[in-house]
Amino acid sequence: MPSRKMLPLMIAGGVVTVIMGFVVVVLLISWFSNPPFGLGNAPAQPIAFPHTVHVAENNIQCEFCHRNVTKGAAATVPAVETCLFCHKDIDGGTVTAQAEIDKVRTAFETDTPINWERVHRLPDHVRFIHEAHIRYFTDETIPVKYGINGEEITQSLDVAQTCTICHGDVGNKTVVQPKIGQSLKMGTCVDCHRQNSVSTDCTICHK
Amino acid sequence: MKLTRRNFLAWAGLGAVGAVACEGFGIRRGELDIQSPVRLPEDLVRGSDNWYASLCRTCPSCEGIVVRVMEGRAKKIQGNPLYPTNQGKTHARCEAGLQALYHPDRIATPMRRSGPRGSDEFVPIKWQPDGIDSLRNALRANGSSSVMITEPLRGHLGLLVERFASAIGGEHLGFEAIDNNTLRAAVKNVFQQDTLPDFDFDNSRFILSFGADFLSTWVSPTRYNRGYGEFRQGEGRDRGMFYQIDSRFSMTAANADKWLPVRPGWEGHLALSLAQVIVSENLQARGVDVDTLVGGDSGIQALNNFRPETVAPLAGLTPEMTGGDPVEFLKNLARSFASNRPSIAIGGGSAGAQSNGLFNLEAIYALNFLVGSVGGKGGVRFNPGSPWDDVPASSKVGSLEDWTRVAEQIRSGKTKLLLLHGADPVHGLPDSVRLRDAIAQANDLFVVSFSPFIDDTSVMADLILPDRVSLEDWGDDIAEPGPGYQVVGMQQPVVNPLGDLDPLSFPDVLLTMAQELGKESQLPWANFKAMLREGSDALFAMNRGSIEASSADEFWNNLLRRGGWWDERRTGPAGVNAPDGLFRTIAGKATGPDFAGIGMGSDSFYLAPFAHNTLLDGYNGHLPWLQAAPDPLSTVTWQTWVELNDVTAKRMGVKEGDILRIESSKDSIRAVAYPTPAAPLDVISVPFGQGRKHGSDYATDRPGRESSNVMDILETTLVKGTGSLAWAGTRVRVSKTGESVSISKLEGNARAVEIGLTPAEKIIKTIAPENA
Repeated sequence: MPSRKMLPLMIAGGVVTVIMGFVVVVLLISWFSNPPFGLGNAPAQPIAFPHTVHVAENNIQCEFCHRNVTKGAAATVPAVETCLFCHKDIDGGTVTAQAEIDKVRTAFETDTPINWERVHRLPDHVRFIHEAHIRYFTDETIPVKYGINGEEITQSLDVAQTCTICHGDVGNKTVVQPKIGQSLKMGTCVDCHRQNSVSTDCTICHK
Repeated sequence: MKLTRRNFLAWAGLGAVGAVACEGFGIRRGELDIQSPVRLPEDLVRGSDNWYASLCRTCPSCEGIVVRVMEGRAKKIQGNPLYPTNQGKTHARCEAGLQALYHPDRIATPMRRSGPRGSDEFVPIKWQPDGIDSLRNALRANGSSSVMITEPLRGHLGLLVERFASAIGGEHLGFEAIDNNTLRAAVKNVFQQDTLPDFDFDNSRFILSFGADFLSTWVSPTRYNRGYGEFRQGEGRDRGMFYQIDSRFSMTAANADKWLPVRPGWEGHLALSLAQVIVSENLQARGVDVDTLVGGDSGIQALNNFRPETVAPLAGLTPEMTGGDPVEFLKNLARSFASNRPSIAIGGGSAGAQSNGLFNLEAIYALNFLVGSVGGKGGVRFNPGSPWDDVPASSKVGSLEDWTRVAEQIRSGKTKLLLLHGADPVHGLPDSVRLRDAIAQANDLFVVSFSPFIDDTSVMADLILPDRVSLEDWGDDIAEPGPGYQVVGMQQPVVNPLGDLDPLSFPDVLLTMAQELGKESQLPWANFKAMLREGSDALFAMNRGSIEASSADEFWNNLLRRGGWWDERRTGPAGVNAPDGLFRTIAGKATGPDFAGIGMGSDSFYLAPFAHNTLLDGYNGHLPWLQAAPDPLSTVTWQTWVELNDVTAKRMGVKEGDILRIESSKDSIRAVAYPTPAAPLDVISVPFGQGRKHGSDYATDRPGRESSNVMDILETTLVKGTGSLAWAGTRVRVSKTGESVSISKLEGNARAVEIGLTPAEKIIKTIAPENA
């Protein structure tokens, strides 16, 4: 039984231990996870959207839905109206698929936006421009480029292949999740920029 | 520490509290959501802007603009680099078009009057059935005794309104407080042209301007500024020479090599004096048939009445002004003007706003024949007409005689329906026309306003049906003055109205009414866009001009994308022949200016009103950016100021900021004194544009901000030959009110001193004489 004098010290020590423990856990998560708080898992989405069916089976190009990806900073998610381009007529092959397509149609009819759970996220102080990266990796005049992990790329890539460098093979995933084991930390960006002889000025990426 | 049961529970409790606390630091639900909007129009890509070509409607010159739109909202207006008249440049007025779009005082819905007429008491109603039914009933009952007053209209809206007025048996009149009717009449009489000409400043070597403030407000200032830039600093050419003859020191006068402050109303005499010197010294351009132009010996004799010796004292020229003998000055000016060819003479503004304004302008423009600058390089260039047979290329504007007649018709009950769009005649006409009283007291009159804002005239309305503003609506324009060839500008809606607004397009309402009243034969279009599209198809069928397209649809898309169509090969006439004996005819009309009212006593001044640099005649008074834009010379904002000579001010004991009462035989107004050395001793100048009594807070008077309408004191003198208001033909008395305010201007608030004269520098010089 601790003495009465020791009790405040024990309580203070306990509080400090809890805070330090929390800090350590946050640091570990941040270091080992894909961009903060993700841990590389696949977040639950409001509608099951299988990229396999759309990309691998039906060959829809990435930029058909992510229409801004070759034009500006954000790739952008498609408007509900874009889904209805096809799903106005195309029904699901299974009862489950049909239920998901009905969710999309209902959203359109009731004028309700769909809130997707973000899978990839960079900190707010980082500026990342999709268009510039796609332009670089699809540029046929540059003979040798290097991927995000230093791999040498000698053939010219198309847009879909460029996407896989950072995002992995999304087209063959039923549920989207970050590329397994892929770091998207500052060091990764800096290494890639150095290998490709691209500027590493702070203001290139930091707002 | 020994792990006892009690310690274990304490730690477990602390751990649980910590876990709950840590959860609070986590990311909130929804923080990482990314939303799919339901609909995605082409221009609604987030983070990506779109630029749409359209037309500016904040001044009558109607410049080509491009509007930056992000996520469905207009953000910025710039000049359209393709549009031939302004070539990528804009006036500051254009940029304020955004403020009309987002203005807090826009009328949100149709409204019906609920109090006495003019009391500004309205109740909101719905378009259907109340608004549209009321309009239809009014048109059915009184269409044949209606007057429609609009802004000056060109292009398809001009055609639509003319046909609508004709279909219902009414009358249409364009309204402009400072109209160009006298200028048009002079152009017609001298050059036999129906549209305003272009001036090739770019290639001119000498500009002689009488009263035209062409770098600030006169006719098409952005285009003239471009030309003026070339005139002064163009590559591969000498710097041109520029004289401004004007009774006010305007922004244009401030740019001139020489400003000659002529006595108001004697500009025509000066012009004929220059002609007399050119003819008598045989300085005319080679190939000019002087005998025919002047009218033989009788013409020469007529011109001899305007020798510099006679005219210089009439025009008030003194050796101080001219730096020597005024007669020699005029002779040298005529020699320079005639020898530095191509040279050009232009006139307008106050020179045409006198009782003898038409004579003044005819005499000025006729000078161009003597120096061979009619139709040639560096001179007056003529514009062709409309590319369509039935669409007007030139706006028809009522004269003061017309407005006096309309006011009388309202008083007598002959006019029973007044339709208003884009015009505020109650503010823009002299008070002595008594239009406000006529409308207020007419019991049988029904007034419909299509204005999106309350102003001095729309406040008198019985029914307000708010129109869309230009960035939300379709339209077109035939550039006037054009650049010497056919130009059609296109206006397209770049955004939709904000959600809490419910305006309807004015031309669409007229077309709906035409159908409901059974007038489809004259106005067969379902909506205004369809009418414009038909015009586009007609241009496509002409198979010429700036747009090449394989189909009518492609042509229409390119028309909208480029902001217009033009055909550089379809020019106006290369030259025109002067009427025989032109100078004899003009000299025969010569009269001095009439100043009715308080007379020419030594205690009175010439009143030289002028168009405000951004508010113009008050058309833009509700736009705060334009209220806050400093006058280019005085730097005054928001207030009505009066420019008077500093010596005169000292004699009267007036200092800057004193509130003066300016009184004519009609009425009096208050204005803040701005003494300046750049004003003739006997002339005071007051800007148009302020002094609205109703509507937006930005336009109306408020305590501490002196805002007066100079129209209230103008004499109703008419320009002989055109019936327009001679707005520069008033004499006034000036007196102190004893009140004084801080004048709201930028200039002079930070004290400017000559280097070496500040106390600190004096001390330095004292202690370290080597720095002196």
